[in-house]
Amino acid sequence: MNEWTNTGREPDPLPSSLPGPTAPGLGEPQAEVEETLKRIQSHKGVIGTMVVNAEGIPIRTTLDNSTTVQYAGLLHHLTMKAKSTVRDIDPQNDLTFLRIRSKKHEIMVAPDKEYLLIVIQNPCE
Amino acid sequence: MATRAQPGPLSQAGSAGVAALATVGVASGPGPGRPGPLQDETLGVASVPSQWRAVQGIRWETKSCQTASIATASASAQARNHVDAQVQTEAPVPVSVQPPSQYDIPRLAAFLRRVEAMVIRELNKNWQSHAFDGFEVNWTEQQQMVSCLYTLGYPPAQAQGLHVTSISWNSTGSVVACAYGRLDHGDWSTLKSFVCAWNLDRRDLRPQQPSAVVEVPSAVLCLAFHPTQPSHVAGGLYSGEVLVWDLSRLEDPLLWRTGLTDDTHTDPVSQPGHSHRFQVLSVATDGKVLLWQGIGVGQLQLTEGFALVMQQLPRSTKLKKHPRGETEVGATAVAFSSFDPRLFILGTEGGFPLKCSLAAGEAALTRMPSSVPLRAPAQFTFSPHGGPIYSVSCSPFHRNLFLSAGTDGHVHLYSMLQAPPLTSLQLSLKYLFAVRWSPVRPLVFAAASGKGDVQLFDLQKSSQKPTVLIKQTQDESPVYCLEFNSQQTQLLAAGDAQGTVKVWQLSTEFTEQGPREAEDLDCLAAEVAA
Repeated sequence: MNEWTNTGREPDPLPSSLPGPTAPGLGEPQAEVEETLKRIQSHKGVIGTMVVNAEGIPIRTTLDNSTTVQYAGLLHHLTMKAKSTVRDIDPQNDLTFLRIRSKKHEIMVAPDKEYLLIVIQNPCE
Repeated sequence: MATRAQPGPLSQAGSAGVAALATVGVASGPGPGRPGPLQDETLGVASVPSQWRAVQGIRWETKSCQTASIATASASAQARNHVDAQVQTEAPVPVSVQPPSQYDIPRLAAFLRRVEAMVIRELNKNWQSHAFDGFEVNWTEQQQMVSCLYTLGYPPAQAQGLHVTSISWNSTGSVVACAYGRLDHGDWSTLKSFVCAWNLDRRDLRPQQPSAVVEVPSAVLCLAFHPTQPSHVAGGLYSGEVLVWDLSRLEDPLLWRTGLTDDTHTDPVSQPGHSHRFQVLSVATDGKVLLWQGIGVGQLQLTEGFALVMQQLPRSTKLKKHPRGETEVGATAVAFSSFDPRLFILGTEGGFPLKCSLAAGEAALTRMPSSVPLRAPAQFTFSPHGGPIYSVSCSPFHRNLFLSAGTDGHVHLYSMLQAPPLTSLQLSLKYLFAVRWSPVRPLVFAAASGKGDVQLFDLQKSSQKPTVLIKQTQDESPVYCLEFNSQQTQLLAAGDAQGTVKVWQLSTEFTEQGPREAEDLDCLAAEVAA
């Protein structure tokens, strides 16, 4: 069972991390991230948006903590399973997008090597 | 005649014997060619020796067997060391989102740049798509009818003519407990009564034999299980005491009691409820709302108290009587809001619900003795019913809606934002004793009436008449209490005046949410008059 503890200091940067693009400080990518997430969140019918990293730990979210953690853990596993299913059927193929339609809303997952973008939308009907 | 019976070697003897007989027979009688007079003659015994038995011969031998003697040995074993261990599940610890690290931002930005266009395209497509219109999937087997699963009763209590005054499901949804007492006695009674619990998940469930029975010296009027501890149950007695039992202890289940001190209620307790982990809230018709905490061994101590005084009720609606003096307002029902743990709704004898808060600070103008300063909790008064309210229930899906039911046979749906009710439904010509929202469907509630039936209302289908009417008692004796099971959502338990508890299994339409129910409930709540 994972336990998140905030030790109160930033973790040391990994040696393989790339330096940021040539931008004045880290302000611009940060603003870009916020803007993009805000654009997605303000789309018609969107209930929540979150970004999860490769280990299933949520990094950014617009929902409350317990819901976010639940979504992140479950959808991370499901995305990995879906990805392996697609690749087992055809090794040249790969998962590009995952959509789950439920009675109440639709969950969309955009997977990537390092992150997952999860958007929950309430369809118009 | 000589008989040839000697065994001889093989077939020659046999045929010779036969031939001899033939010749003997012929020789004695007259010759074959000459017919003679018929005369009786006695011939000898003719015997044909067995051929096969001579061949086989009979041989026998004697054999015997005997088991060898059994070796036995004695040895004894004794455990010397033993270790006691206990296992206890803990309430889950809430986890939090990891704060982002600074150096990840550029990668995050690159990722979002990559996926944004695709996600926006999919969101647009989804918003305009009609692909799933009217598409519904059935995962579970559909149950069409409402059926009675169990009829539970405790014969000694029924023999005394006790009614089921209150029922409660425990936190895991597997045990239903009921309290016996009488609701129509107007005076003090020293009748012994019972609290019985049945565990419905046990295979050897016997409907007439509860898995736990507690004898109580006075009539128990109300019961509530602890919200997280599956075996703790609190009950309020006619004498004004509040007791807490632990049903997992077979000898002496009594955990805590309030005792009869100055602090306790002087009138029958009408509803206990658990608000926090170890605190019990009790309300009674003497106008006091008390919060007890179990400390140490056996004693419930008063931690906070509230008193309802007529003078201090907020004048948000015109009440019929304005008596002078510090008259107490008797409280008959309490319901906590699922959204705000300190907000609760009280139903009163005067027929008006009150919105109260545990955090109220104003002191109550009352002369009732108490070890803890009593405060006035009421913040808002709603329009009254035509008679005392017996039951209130807050909606688990909407923070502002609650139902109240009383002796005038009406159910009022109130919004906490306004005094007059949103709608008022007449369900019965007799009293209504209990009303409860469904824990799974936002628009469904159930009401127990004095005519012996349980009415299930679906506000989505019809707001005028009940969707299902379940007849609980045959002789129209009233149904006093009902509770939904929040874990096994298809079960509804109801207790009646004949001392039986019936567990009903609801049809699927009452246990599965439709697609837009939450929105419909919001619409209903938004019909607040300007």
